[in-house]
Amino acid sequence: MRFILRRLGFYLIAFWVSITLNFLLPRFMPGDPVSRMFARTQDRMQPEQIEALRKLLGVDDRPIWEQYVDYLHNMITGQMGVSISRFPTPVTEVIASQVGWTLLLGGTALVIAAVVGNLLGILAAWRRGGAIDSALPPILIFIGSFPYFWLAMGALYLFGVTLGWFPIRHAFSDTIEPAFSWEFMSDVGMHLVLPALTIVLVSVGGWMLGMRNTMIATNAEDYITMAEAKGLRPGRIMFRYAARNAMLPSVTSFGMSLGFVVGGALLTEVVFAYPGVGYQLLNAVQGLDYPLMQGLFLTITAAVLLANFLVDILYVRLDPRVRAN
Amino acid sequence: MTQPRFLRSARIAAAGLAIGALALTGCSATAGNSGSAKADASAQSALLTIPREDMGTFVRNFNPFAPTVAPMTQQAIYESLLIYNPAKGDTTPWLASEWTAAEDGKSITFTLRDGVKWSDGQPLVPADVVTTFALQKKIKGGYDYLDTVTAEGTNQVKFSFKTAWSPALFDLGQLSILPDHVWSKIADPEKDANEKPVGTGPYTEVDTFQAQSFVLKKNPNYWQPEKQKIAGIKMLAFAGNDGANLAAANGDVDWAPQYMPNIEKTFISKDPDHRKYWFPPTGSMINWQLNTAKAPFNDTDVRKALSMAVDREQVTKIGMSGYTKPADCTGLSGNYETWKNKDVQDKCDWTKLNVDEANKLLDKAGYPKGSDGKRTLKDGKPFEFKISVGAASSDWLSVANVIAQNLAEVGVTAKVDSPDWAAVVAGYETGDFDSGIVWSANDPSPYKYFAGMMGTATVKPVGEKTFENYHRFGDPKADALLTEFAAAADEDTQHDIVDKLQEEYSAVAPAIPLFAGPEWGAYNNTRFTGWPTEENPYATLSVRAPTTVLVLTSLEPAK
Repeated sequence: MRFILRRLGFYLIAFWVSITLNFLLPRFMPGDPVSRMFARTQDRMQPEQIEALRKLLGVDDRPIWEQYVDYLHNMITGQMGVSISRFPTPVTEVIASQVGWTLLLGGTALVIAAVVGNLLGILAAWRRGGAIDSALPPILIFIGSFPYFWLAMGALYLFGVTLGWFPIRHAFSDTIEPAFSWEFMSDVGMHLVLPALTIVLVSVGGWMLGMRNTMIATNAEDYITMAEAKGLRPGRIMFRYAARNAMLPSVTSFGMSLGFVVGGALLTEVVFAYPGVGYQLLNAVQGLDYPLMQGLFLTITAAVLLANFLVDILYVRLDPRVRAN
Repeated sequence: MTQPRFLRSARIAAAGLAIGALALTGCSATAGNSGSAKADASAQSALLTIPREDMGTFVRNFNPFAPTVAPMTQQAIYESLLIYNPAKGDTTPWLASEWTAAEDGKSITFTLRDGVKWSDGQPLVPADVVTTFALQKKIKGGYDYLDTVTAEGTNQVKFSFKTAWSPALFDLGQLSILPDHVWSKIADPEKDANEKPVGTGPYTEVDTFQAQSFVLKKNPNYWQPEKQKIAGIKMLAFAGNDGANLAAANGDVDWAPQYMPNIEKTFISKDPDHRKYWFPPTGSMINWQLNTAKAPFNDTDVRKALSMAVDREQVTKIGMSGYTKPADCTGLSGNYETWKNKDVQDKCDWTKLNVDEANKLLDKAGYPKGSDGKRTLKDGKPFEFKISVGAASSDWLSVANVIAQNLAEVGVTAKVDSPDWAAVVAGYETGDFDSGIVWSANDPSPYKYFAGMMGTATVKPVGEKTFENYHRFGDPKADALLTEFAAAADEDTQHDIVDKLQEEYSAVAPAIPLFAGPEWGAYNNTRFTGWPTEENPYATLSVRAPTTVLVLTSLEPAK
């Protein structure tokens, strides 16, 4: 219990530091959202409308500490204000309407990549020097080192345009209405295949290599030799004895990745026109949309910290050595 | 209207990849998808499908005052009193059937068209116009010259100005008119999302609204029902240009208004019989603007010499993929074709490449070339400066690079400085920059353009923020002409004054015009015909221009 409380205190401080940075960083950027918008629309906006727009969007010139106090108050009470690039939609609404798609895409891709990658890693290490071990890692690392954008575009052209197996854009067809029906869900599933597949392709190699390397170290341990000497079934040794102990680093990276899923897969969303928060974040940064940027950063920070906290707790269960400290 | 600068960048990077991918898949892509595209086509044949490349998701907000209004609000839902077509330089009466300007230029009276109804069946009345302008002034500001807007009788609206103000016609005429009976009841018109808009436009009924697509259906009470030949408009959201280009290449959309690199190959070649593009140079003039508050840019000879050193053919070819034409000495874009002074055009010298003349002029002005071939300023320092362009705009960056190379030939060193656009624009606004690639005002009348280029009223001292005349150039002679123009009620006088303004512009060279921004537009006439073309320029191919409604009311399903 004391362990958990201490960790909790640490996370609270980390949280405060990150939301303070979150407040300061956009304000260090040159320019303000309105002149940015003006430059963006170029000749379509009259210069005399700028002051009015400033007022409307609430771009304020108050002292920075006053803004900071307000900001902290808003963060605690969950009021994140109105998005500038999506005016007048509240920030919470913008995030809420898109975070689901991001979680679906990122979560699916992460789970598949982690499960497949770890299984392959276990098999590769177990049959060291075998077919899987010698062929797969170089291939997967080769694919993973492609520029993601290129890979995604290639997959889109091959499977979406040329072969026509999968839809090439959006999260669901615009001919059907969202509903809890088999038709809608299978449509969503079909739209998920290409974006998720490309993320899995580039990330699975990392999972596999990581698992393989720890597994090899674990396989050299005395208790494995002991288990083998006792004549236990190889499958049992592989999963219960070796893999279970080699899992720890993977659990950590899984937890971390889980937090980052919330941030969205920006490039994926851009290539596949997927309606997640990643593209929205890019837009917010480009448009100097402070409220939306802050809302998104806050959500991401909170998610990362929460995921880390859960991993910390899980670790206590998995690794007795942590408990002792 | 040119495309948003920040986005173009991403899209160019992406487009390069798209071409790469297209080349990879090659001919099989063409053969493979034509069948499925046709099948799709019949399923949604009735809806005109248009992509929006800079919105990853749509927000159901049809409030024209919102900075982030849903697309088509000002094109298909609300209409204006008149429509100016930059491609042809003509004006079409729209919600107003006619207008008369007072002799003294201090007022204009618009007569509303008979029989126009709002989509809820109510008639269009003068109060609608009055309310619209009251809201516009209150929420968005501007229209400072406007004194009163009053309803006259049952079908007329009179706009009175504080002083004679001839540029007012298009300024007033192009504002989207809103219904008084709806908007006077909205408590907070700035922030209302106006989810169920009531408009006079051809397509006002929001049929389905989803985050990434929405459909507008026919206005049941449209005043030109014979022109509603398409069943509706479907907008698709894309988080970037590459996705929208892919949809266009795939034949999923009918109208492709976004920038497409190498359009012949990526788009046209897939179906040359049905796919066409047209990029009229009617966007705003793109200038290389020098900060005239600084030496040596305060010297007209220096500006002209630098301008003569620039190879505009190379600039448009390399920087703009040859999609536009070099500027001439009038500084006017294709938007002002009918206003151009032929004399100035014929005698044009300082916007044409002439390295010898540029060298002579710089020598004469007192910027000698040293033994190393580099010029020095009057105080002995090297003739060096920066050209600032946002890092995101790869096309303008290559424009700046071409200029820098050209300048090296006359012994001037220019460095291309490319931080984020926000930093660049912040520099422009406060006057803390040497030079930059900058757009200019683009309006039906050239008044705002010249006022922003060389009117003293728009010049702010360095350090004070400004949103026009970044180059800080003021010319009292131009002021006198601008005042005359504002007071001139008849068009012939206006043309005479604009002729003189161009002579003055050409004499003082306030900025270095490079090329007119093209208005991108491409279409696929498999499903709909009747598109504007270079031969029949009844509108541009933009989907965000006032002329868009002309296209929407001219298209018809292909037979």
